[in-house]
Amino acid sequence: MRKLLLALASLKLTLAIFLLLGVSVLLAYFNEVRTSPWLVMSLSLLSINLLAAIATNPYFRRQAPLMVFHLALLAIVILIALGRLTYFKGRVEVVEGEEFTGQFLEVDAGPWHPLGSDRAKFTNLGTRIVYAPGPVRLATQNRVAWVDEAGARQEAVIGDHTPLVRNHYRFYANWNKGFALMFGWQPKSGEPMLGSVNLPSYPANALRQARQWSLPGSAEPVWAALQFEDEPVPETGGEFHLPERYTVVVRQGEQRWEVQGNRGVAHIDLPGGRLSYLGLRTWMGYQVAWDRTMPWLLGASLLAVLALAWHFWRKFTARSWNE
Amino acid sequence: MDLFGELRVLWVAVIAYVLAGSLAIFGVLLKKRPEKTILGLMFFGLALHTVAIVVRWQRLDHGPFVTMFEILSSNVWSLMLAFSIAYWRLPAVRPVAAVVMPILFTMMGWLMTVSPGEMHLPPTYHTTWLFIHIGFGKVFLGAVLVAVGLSGVILLRQTTAGSNRFQRLPADDRLSELAYRCMAIGFVFETLMLIAGAIWAQDAWGRYWDWDPLETWAFITWIIVGVSLHARLTFNLTPRLGAWLVLGVFVSAFLTFFGVPFISQTPHQGAV
Repeated sequence: MRKLLLALASLKLTLAIFLLLGVSVLLAYFNEVRTSPWLVMSLSLLSINLLAAIATNPYFRRQAPLMVFHLALLAIVILIALGRLTYFKGRVEVVEGEEFTGQFLEVDAGPWHPLGSDRAKFTNLGTRIVYAPGPVRLATQNRVAWVDEAGARQEAVIGDHTPLVRNHYRFYANWNKGFALMFGWQPKSGEPMLGSVNLPSYPANALRQARQWSLPGSAEPVWAALQFEDEPVPETGGEFHLPERYTVVVRQGEQRWEVQGNRGVAHIDLPGGRLSYLGLRTWMGYQVAWDRTMPWLLGASLLAVLALAWHFWRKFTARSWNE
Repeated sequence: MDLFGELRVLWVAVIAYVLAGSLAIFGVLLKKRPEKTILGLMFFGLALHTVAIVVRWQRLDHGPFVTMFEILSSNVWSLMLAFSIAYWRLPAVRPVAAVVMPILFTMMGWLMTVSPGEMHLPPTYHTTWLFIHIGFGKVFLGAVLVAVGLSGVILLRQTTAGSNRFQRLPADDRLSELAYRCMAIGFVFETLMLIAGAIWAQDAWGRYWDWDPLETWAFITWIIVGVSLHARLTFNLTPRLGAWLVLGVFVSAFLTFFGVPFISQTPHQGAV
């Protein structure tokens, strides 16, 4: 047993595992699957090697800072593993004036993630994005509101460095935003409903401001496009805004309708019911992240680097640099 | 001061650096010791370079973090500062300047060929973490540069001419030990750079790690530094082999900080 432990604690093995870790990082970098078996294996081997070294190498016990550094590295590996099992990443678009209710466009989560995004509700109150001439995007400020656990209404601004944190879910407003066409739908039989059609991100898709969708109870899809001539993102700088004069083109099958913007509600009679154009708003895209290991990971990383600095400080002050 | 004035001050600073470096090289070749003049020229160049950076900062209302011109300029400045401090504080190894300055000449030459045009600071760059992250990265690269100088001397001393020219420097073992110290300092600061970068990335983009080219290659460089430090302990390396490892780290760090920004399409573009 002792022999096995000594073999596992070998410094030469540490070097080999370090090289394996380097290769695993490269493999992860060049592949879609980041948490590859290679990465898991090299980090696991490194942890075993480290544990064996701590158990058998008296040098560690004599050098407290070095011991703390390596224990902190071990803690980082464990926390990363825990983080990968429990993390959550998502993407969501919320229309101005609407509430986020826990529905995501994209979700990527660890197998142990305790779902709780339905308790992270908030309302998008609108976004202010300033552009410099070019146009070059400057600061983004997205106002949001929610009702806290005590029933009180709260408001905050999500900035470029300030996420909204709700139930440990962190909402980051990003460059992804655009226009939303607001519609009402009264089917010939059934309840009326309201909804939005989020057009592709603007100005990234400035020439493709159209989307096709299906109305409930209607077999044929509907296509809608937003056409405008003014600049919602001014070339000479200014604030991102809704177009002042615009036309909404709606098509179903061979039929085509045009609705002039800012002239109130417009109704379109379709074979399956009545579609009402209600207005134009903006939508905001959010990256959503949940990782409870983050503060612990930061603590372990700082402990590691402080212990390492302490170790080298002790070592180097023992002999002058100019000897 | 306008762009033209700023460039004139920068040019004079670069001329001072080139004079200092040339004197250092000729000092080694002719076995002379114009060390006070070299140190004076280095600090004179640094003072002017600081003025050039400050006036640009005032004019554009942001630090030298965006364009390749700004990144190269700030790196020449920080590497010159790191090396000038080493030159000042470690008199025994001053001839190392003959190895270090040609590396900096290359960067100065590059700086003179890129456009000094202006760009806006991206919104995610408006944070204190930018200064902390970049500051740590600059200390890391500065420490590695000094280690490269020491290692370069060890390798040059393998030749007859090099052995003759660098005769009065401490023995290879001692130079290797000093290079190890610099690498250890670099390792601490690269670790701090990665931590500060992770905090910034979490604030700016909602993730502390995303495998973007710059962060991945910075981590690979960290692994290489870790391997080089561990290898010294494990194999009791000769100064020559240790010197090659230091050069390997430098190449990796240099390619990471100045090569990867050319291939990266992510918002994380900056070099240190």
